[in-house]
Amino acid sequence: MSTATIPTRFAADFRAICGAEHVSEDPAQLQAWNILGVAPALAVTPASADEIAGILRFANEHGLSVVPAGGFTQQQVGNPPPQIDVVLFTARLTAVEHYDVGDLTVGIGAGCTVAQLSAMVAKDGLFFAGDPAQPERSTIGGLLATGLYGPLRHGYGGLRDYCIGVRFVTGDGRKAKGGGRVVKNVAGYDMMKLLIGSQGTLGIITSASFKLFPAPRQTRTFVAVFPSAAEALQFRSQVLRSPLDPICLELVSPQAHELLAPGSPAAAGWSICLRAAGSETVLARYRTELGTAVVREMEGANEQGFWRTLSDFSPLAAERHPRSLLISMTLPVRDVQSVLNEVSTVAESNHFLFAAIGRVGIAHLLVSLWPAPDAEDSLVSFVDTVSGLRNRVPRDASLAVLHCPSETRHHISAWGPMPTDLESMRAVKMALDPKDILNRGRFLF
Amino acid sequence: MAEKPVSNFSSGEKPTWDLYSKCVHCGLCLDQCPTYRALGTEMDSPRGRIYQMVLVDQGRLALADSFVTHIDRCLGCLNCQTACPSGVPYGSLLERARSQIEENYPRSWLQRKVRSHFYGTVLPSFGKLARHAKLVRFYQRSGLQGLARGSGLLKLLGVAELDALSPRIESDFSFADLGRVYPAEGAQRGRVALLIGCISSVAFAELNRATIRVLTRNGIEVHVPQSQSCCGALHLHAGYIEQSRTLARHNIDAMLKPEFDAIVTNAAGCGSTMKEYAALLEHDPQYAKRAQEFVVKVRDISEYLAQVGLVEPAHKLKARVTYQDPCHLAHAQGIRSAPRQLLKFIGAEVVESPRADSCCGSAGVYNVTQNEISMKILDEKMGYIASVEPEIVATANVGCMLQYAAGIKRKGMNARVVHVVELLDEAY
Amino acid sequence: MPVNLPGLVEHLREIAGRDAVLDRPEDLMLYEYDAGIRKSTPGAVVFPQNTEQVSQIMRLATALNVAVVARGAGTGLSGGSIPQAGGLVIAFSRMNRILEVDVENQRATVRPGVVNLQLSEHVSHLGLYFAPDPSSQKACTIGGNVAENSGGPHTLMHGVTVNHVTGVEVVMPSGEIVHFGGKAAESYGYDLTGFMVGSEGTVGIVTAITVKLLRKPEKIATLLGVFESVDDAALTVSAITAAGITPAALEMLDGWTLRTVEAFCHAGYPLDAGAVLLIELEGLREAVEEQAIAVREVCLSQKAREVRRAKDDDERALLWKGRKMAFAALGRVTPSYYTQDGVVPRSQIPAVMRHIGNVAKKYDLTIGNIFHAGDGNLHPLILFDMRNAEQFERVLSASSEILEFCIQCGGSITGEHGVGLEKRDLMSRLFTEEDLDVMISLRNAFNGRDILNPQKIFPTPRMCREITGPSQNPVLMQEGL
Repeated sequence: MSTATIPTRFAADFRAICGAEHVSEDPAQLQAWNILGVAPALAVTPASADEIAGILRFANEHGLSVVPAGGFTQQQVGNPPPQIDVVLFTARLTAVEHYDVGDLTVGIGAGCTVAQLSAMVAKDGLFFAGDPAQPERSTIGGLLATGLYGPLRHGYGGLRDYCIGVRFVTGDGRKAKGGGRVVKNVAGYDMMKLLIGSQGTLGIITSASFKLFPAPRQTRTFVAVFPSAAEALQFRSQVLRSPLDPICLELVSPQAHELLAPGSPAAAGWSICLRAAGSETVLARYRTELGTAVVREMEGANEQGFWRTLSDFSPLAAERHPRSLLISMTLPVRDVQSVLNEVSTVAESNHFLFAAIGRVGIAHLLVSLWPAPDAEDSLVSFVDTVSGLRNRVPRDASLAVLHCPSETRHHISAWGPMPTDLESMRAVKMALDPKDILNRGRFLF
Repeated sequence: MAEKPVSNFSSGEKPTWDLYSKCVHCGLCLDQCPTYRALGTEMDSPRGRIYQMVLVDQGRLALADSFVTHIDRCLGCLNCQTACPSGVPYGSLLERARSQIEENYPRSWLQRKVRSHFYGTVLPSFGKLARHAKLVRFYQRSGLQGLARGSGLLKLLGVAELDALSPRIESDFSFADLGRVYPAEGAQRGRVALLIGCISSVAFAELNRATIRVLTRNGIEVHVPQSQSCCGALHLHAGYIEQSRTLARHNIDAMLKPEFDAIVTNAAGCGSTMKEYAALLEHDPQYAKRAQEFVVKVRDISEYLAQVGLVEPAHKLKARVTYQDPCHLAHAQGIRSAPRQLLKFIGAEVVESPRADSCCGSAGVYNVTQNEISMKILDEKMGYIASVEPEIVATANVGCMLQYAAGIKRKGMNARVVHVVELLDEAY
Repeated sequence: MPVNLPGLVEHLREIAGRDAVLDRPEDLMLYEYDAGIRKSTPGAVVFPQNTEQVSQIMRLATALNVAVVARGAGTGLSGGSIPQAGGLVIAFSRMNRILEVDVENQRATVRPGVVNLQLSEHVSHLGLYFAPDPSSQKACTIGGNVAENSGGPHTLMHGVTVNHVTGVEVVMPSGEIVHFGGKAAESYGYDLTGFMVGSEGTVGIVTAITVKLLRKPEKIATLLGVFESVDDAALTVSAITAAGITPAALEMLDGWTLRTVEAFCHAGYPLDAGAVLLIELEGLREAVEEQAIAVREVCLSQKAREVRRAKDDDERALLWKGRKMAFAALGRVTPSYYTQDGVVPRSQIPAVMRHIGNVAKKYDLTIGNIFHAGDGNLHPLILFDMRNAEQFERVLSASSEILEFCIQCGGSITGEHGVGLEKRDLMSRLFTEEDLDVMISLRNAFNGRDILNPQKIFPTPRMCREITGPSQNPVLMQEGL
């Protein structure tokens, strides 16, 4: 582990910007905030966009690298940073900018957690559709920057569909905004799209506005189990062609099932877990349409717990198998089957086991791979597994390695080829963060 | 905003602010316009044509080659009028623009000579038409036709019109039927006057007979009034408004009789023009009222038959039929369901093709005067028709029938082209 | 901007073909308008047939420093496709093929000139459709939809164009051909696909678009709620949302508008009503039936006089015909109208409707209202006659006051028509100079010489700080249609 140092005179400048008590130089604390072994030299917790702009302008003047941070749930994702001068926490940006129950919209500070936001709107019978892992820690800013989502992505769309406005400070210290607080708005460039999934490399999000949804009054989850992935996916395709309109449609592999619910009896097969919302009559229709393939139904706390655990698949997998790979893939829907076959082939040839879950209606897969108990756990086998998969993913797909053993990090790129032109992405980065202040070395460039 | 612009239209009948200001240039007409779809240029769209009329009226555009080219290219199919939510009277604007062109634009001497002879002398007189038709029949049979068409000679001479109208002149003209009365079979349910049409008479005499047979078998007494003349549609569409008025007065005199329940035609173009007589003669103190009475009685054959109801046919037609709306029936007269009802009544399996109500590119003489565009339009249309694999392509206008017959050849399809009335005739 | 037009036209002909370039004044005048009210005549129009030609055209335009605007069908209402005077129009009417329909992935890839409705018709037999449905969908092109991020009545449930585009092929000003996204719903990396949609042709020229195709719903219920007053109808909009129902579409027509529209389309709208709500529900049969009952109850509890439900597809089509044709149908009663596209939070609809009523009285104007109530997206239609200059000034003032109200209650100046020429000087009311500066730096990242659709979206620098209405806009506004 290394700790970068910045001259102490800079600490005084940061204290001047956001107050002494909001600047930390405590080595133990900073060490705890290390990213892939690299500890920041300084931590700041500004209270406003103006303070953030001040910090970033200062960082630009002195060429400092800044890591924006929310709940620190996804900070180990990405390539290892060469050095971190400043970690910037958004924890003090929690103000509710607007909350209009009649309009089903809310604007909230980036440091607010997903759980806090969900709880706030739930009181009015409303519903925030973001369901990332660890919602108690995950913040709104982090959610947007990482573009994360969970099983609800199937029925409610992604952040790009329901984030309607964003305020942020660009890497070069300009305060900016996109969109607004109304659900339909085409005034100006769509800055939300640029920031969602930008991994904090373009700007630091200070607040965002969202469309909310009416909370479903009743939901039920139907579980169908199949001997093979192929049969499960065929069932998925039938659902997609049917008039059914579920809010979640998830594939769970046998190993994943075991990982989520250790010792579970149903771990023998591939499950399709379908969550539907509606009245008793509507849910009865689901039962009829889904037919005899359904072996289990869940409701209430049981059901809530199941989906909650499923959303936490990534941290659970990393905890259970610390020496594992966690791979996230977005694909065209048709390619899910062939990609799962490739995963299986590559895993087998490297003596790995794997657990997979996925939003198979929109084709997003999360795969955890770890060396089989009797296999040799070597750096080469990890590297080969990733390159094996990267070579086999189809056109239009993109693949990210969200987790890998620390010693392999320097041999495995977190981000592989992407369908979007790299030079154009570089142009965007140069426009907003020309000195590469934000998350230097961690994302694309 | 400078001084009041000077219009490049002459006084008299011209596109006026009252007519063209209804266009809010929303563009909803664009994809409905066959020439816009074929060419993709704004000048060849309805919105663009109206805008060119505005430009001429505002003095920004000369009434010259460019304007004439784009107005000439209009099929007059009125698909745009159906699409237009603002109620722009496009047909009327077009007629006025064409009238302005006839009045103010010097076409070549030869073209003018031939056009005026054809529209002014031949069409209005059935006798002359018959003589011309005989000449044309000779010309067709002699093999000169292929030569002349191939060499573009006809176009050069400006007589392409005649050639277009004479694709298969039947040896027996309907003119012999003039003045005759055909009694109803069985219980009489009505009495109508039949317009035999100038072109149908020479090209489709058999169709007129089929029309008479279908009517009489359905209990309708059919009169073919002796002194009827061409309806004036071709004149109106070519910009000869005054001549079309003369013809209108003539037909009102010939066919507006209290004993007729209806004035029936099997040509969509004739029907739509006769329904315009009231507008055409609204400022004629002598004829205005009678024109209104006349219009009330005009019926397309399918409209009339659907209205009185068919008697049970002798045999059911067992065939896959696609019906293609003639523009002057669907867009000018709003008649869409009647022909389909009749086809279903006689047992046809009616299959709907995409864009069934889009123009085929025939448009009177258009397929000759603007052959290249016409064939582009036809090829698009045939693609839609082929997609539903019909055995029979039915329509309700003679011009369209010829065009579809050509289209089927171009496409190498195996289907026959008929008038709805011909199928009814077969069923009885 | 120095323009070397004769050289330009010759080169364009070499690139796209002799019959694919217009340069005669009498033809160019036909490219000075769109469906809005601004006009400006280009110096040339070119009709490319493939991406390679577009690339060569862009290279040429950059070399000659000629302003370029892409044009679909010219049905936009904000002046998005109006060229810079003397500039080059790239017209996509001949690049209109549907390249691929991928049923399994529910995607289609199309050229920009494909007409919106044609795509839905093309895939209809597969049980699929393309969801964005602007009222001009019979004519407008998907390329234009992408540029403006177009909406439509059914965007309430399904989202606007950007929610349905997963990939684009783009030609940059340099002529370089690049790809963003693909058939996957999302991908790692910056979402440049999303950024491109709605950039109003100022970032690149889109030459192919991959869109989502949705499965047609099992059941559609179309209801017409008839109200005595606009106020009752407006309150009902929030009440429906509050009842936890998300209709597929929720449209309002005020009494004056529905009477005007009825005269044309005979949709069966009640002529003596104060306002109607057109409410569409779609989805699973059982769910739709339940919602239809719930919506009826909400309407009646909000003083609806009656609630009708379309019996069949024909009745449904008729109700929608009235809505979709409404804008242009006003051409029957007025030589011109000016429409706005402001958005308010849905909770503010009753207030904004009252405000519009007051503005109409204050300026002695007729203002019709027909709009996407479910989204809070207003379309006040202000009637006028271009020949009356004094009246037109009142129209612009009234329009500014309405937009001012939208801005004050947290709304936007445009929900779906785009900023274009028309509203660019209002941008500084929504965004700070720094906000706009950031956007401009993004534009410059791709279009550094500002040759792509210049003068659009962003306020002219000298006006940045002023509060201006469209009346001060220096762009040509000529007497005419």
